[in-house]
Amino acid sequence: MTFSELTCFRRLRRIALLLAVAALTVPALAAPRKPLADSELLERLPLRAGDGSARELAALRAGMLVAPGAPEPAAALAQAYFDLAMARGDPRYVGYAEAVIAGFGEPPTASLRVVRGLLRQYRHDFGGALDDFAAALALDPGFAAAHAWRAAIFLVQAAYAAAQQECAALQSLGRATLFGGCRGLVQAYSGQLDVAYRTLQLALATTADAGNRLWLLTRLGEVAAWRGQPALAESHYRAALALGRDDGYLLAAWGDFLLDQNRPAEVLAALAGWEAADNLLLRLAEAAAALQRPEAARLAQALGERFAAAGLRGDTTHRAEEARYRLRLRGDAGAALRLAAENYRVQREPRDARILLEAALAAGDAAAAQPARDWLAASGFEDARLRRLDQELALATRR
Amino acid sequence: MKLRHWLCGLLLLISLPALAHKASDSYLVLDVQGREVTGQWDIALRDIDFALGLDADGDGGITWGEVRARHTEIAAWALGRLTLRRGGECALAVADHLIDSHSDGSYAVLRLAGSCPSGGGELALDYRLLFELDALHRGLLRLGLDGSTQTAVLSPQRAEQRFAAGEASRLAQFGQYLVEGIWHIWIGFDHILFLLSLLLPAVLVHEARRWRGVANFRLALVEVLWVVTAFTVAHSITLSLAALGLVSLPSRLVEAAIAASVVLAAANNLKPLVERRRWMVAFGFGLIHGFGFASVLAELGLPRETLVLSLLGFNLGVETGQLAIVAAFLPLAYALRGTGFYRRVVFIGGSLATLAIALLWFVERAFDLKLISA
Repeated sequence: MTFSELTCFRRLRRIALLLAVAALTVPALAAPRKPLADSELLERLPLRAGDGSARELAALRAGMLVAPGAPEPAAALAQAYFDLAMARGDPRYVGYAEAVIAGFGEPPTASLRVVRGLLRQYRHDFGGALDDFAAALALDPGFAAAHAWRAAIFLVQAAYAAAQQECAALQSLGRATLFGGCRGLVQAYSGQLDVAYRTLQLALATTADAGNRLWLLTRLGEVAAWRGQPALAESHYRAALALGRDDGYLLAAWGDFLLDQNRPAEVLAALAGWEAADNLLLRLAEAAAALQRPEAARLAQALGERFAAAGLRGDTTHRAEEARYRLRLRGDAGAALRLAAENYRVQREPRDARILLEAALAAGDAAAAQPARDWLAASGFEDARLRRLDQELALATRR
Repeated sequence: MKLRHWLCGLLLLISLPALAHKASDSYLVLDVQGREVTGQWDIALRDIDFALGLDADGDGGITWGEVRARHTEIAAWALGRLTLRRGGECALAVADHLIDSHSDGSYAVLRLAGSCPSGGGELALDYRLLFELDALHRGLLRLGLDGSTQTAVLSPQRAEQRFAAGEASRLAQFGQYLVEGIWHIWIGFDHILFLLSLLLPAVLVHEARRWRGVANFRLALVEVLWVVTAFTVAHSITLSLAALGLVSLPSRLVEAAIAASVVLAAANNLKPLVERRRWMVAFGFGLIHGFGFASVLAELGLPRETLVLSLLGFNLGVETGQLAIVAAFLPLAYALRGTGFYRRVVFIGGSLATLAIALLWFVERAFDLKLISA
């Protein structure tokens, strides 16, 4: 290399670095401007003053103002914000909920404790969340939701014996639906898909509540798909969608099911208009890429910008999704594997294991997927797709 | 079926510029130069609406008219939640109100201007925007403080932060340029070859048209010290002159001259013209090499505020790299000096190879050709 080539190389390196830094630190693309007309519409608010959610929230806020410092109205408002965040995939409402309970220091009531636990699990502070739910139960042993959430966290952590204890607590409280859902998932994750399917079906029969039915139908769809019964899975997903309620988890699961069934066109249709939610944008971008649609590049780019923006805030709760983005949309197996491995240290559900196995296979690094393979061996989880990935990795190791 | 697909496609198109759902961030860019503060603060209209209620007609949309009517209130609300201190509280005002678009919607852009009681010392920043309403809100700060840029995430847990303008960042800058200097000598093969061409004969003496090893280490060391010191002093002079903008030469000329210096240094080993006063050669050509270093430094960009410090750092880095080369070369050369291998293969062969490479460089640079590449 000659001197001038070296300086040129160094200049390029610096430009690349500067561009990378600029891309991370300059969030705005357009330049600031002064609108010309007063009538120019700048922003459409997510809630209009008159609609149902807005009225409900206004009433709850008013309730808090009437009794400042009272825990119950605060818990109700925070819970309403959290539910709205889950339904719409809009994290601003999580922040509002956090602010409502932040004024209480150590939450004095069971319901406030439970809301704080919810917010902590949202941030993946699973230890803190488990403590909050336990504290809520100490204050009110009949608080079934606290047991249900503890079970959900133990399931994420692949601690099935602990989850089973929470299920048993729900049973002794006489909460048949919650118990069935809890038990069914423990069975599903620990290698008994057929039994799990029947347990979830029984739970479904016990409830007429639309929210509970939506959740159980979604999980029935997942279990049926794991059992290799796509037609049955589809009927469950469609029944859940027919309830007509916004639910980010349901839409993501349905989108994944369609992608796995190689039906990307239907993903674009089912999730149209949901680009605002990061996890649904991921499914849309994958579907557009599979169909080689012209908008595929733009969707992937938008998703990349979201992850970059979250990174600026120091937010690491989207690592599983980001790993999928890196692997399937950017073909960067190394980065995907790093993210998937970091995620798997925190979250160990089947989907977390799957992205870790896929990324390890693509990166040719079987050892990195060992935790997920250990889990497959220990749990006996029966999904054929994960088993196949495991075998391919085993072959790759032997080679 | 067809119609549905078409409709969906249409929907997708309509919603294409869809805005992200993301947690709330504001973007605060501040530039503090001495007492003077300028800056820009981008706050989401949706967040301002949540705090102040912008949608006057309750139609679910925020228009420019609705924002404009509340400018005074928005400025007071925002500035009431940001405190800067440098020798006391800085007075801040909103100089202009604009609008910008970010990935999650439209933002009010507040252009800030103000001044602080003191023009030096640390800057303390206390950020409280929206925290009482949205505990996940973050202020993403990019702060230019007397020329050095720092970034920070402002959160309820880290709402108040202090930024040092002085020694910490200066030291970091010095260190950065020091490393660049070392790095540059290591990858600057032409400098290394020039230096080695002058050092190769340091362990030898030329007597009666024959080379033989020097009698003791001290003689070799003294010779090396003369050469290295002369080279260093010379290139420091021109590096400083060029970096301070006092002298400038066309870079093609400089680079060709550097190649020529390597040619001549190597040739002098093969047919000695200068034997006793090699340090003068080192000095003369060192002046040229200094201009070469300066062009690298120009690319790095010298910060105006810490010009001398950065220059010193870079120069010291170059010397450090150079000393490392000498430290590796000298003991080895001294040990081998009496062997035919050193005299014929290392000294004559090495000088011949250097001469050939440097000639190629010279032709390339002087006539702007590409003969050999990396």
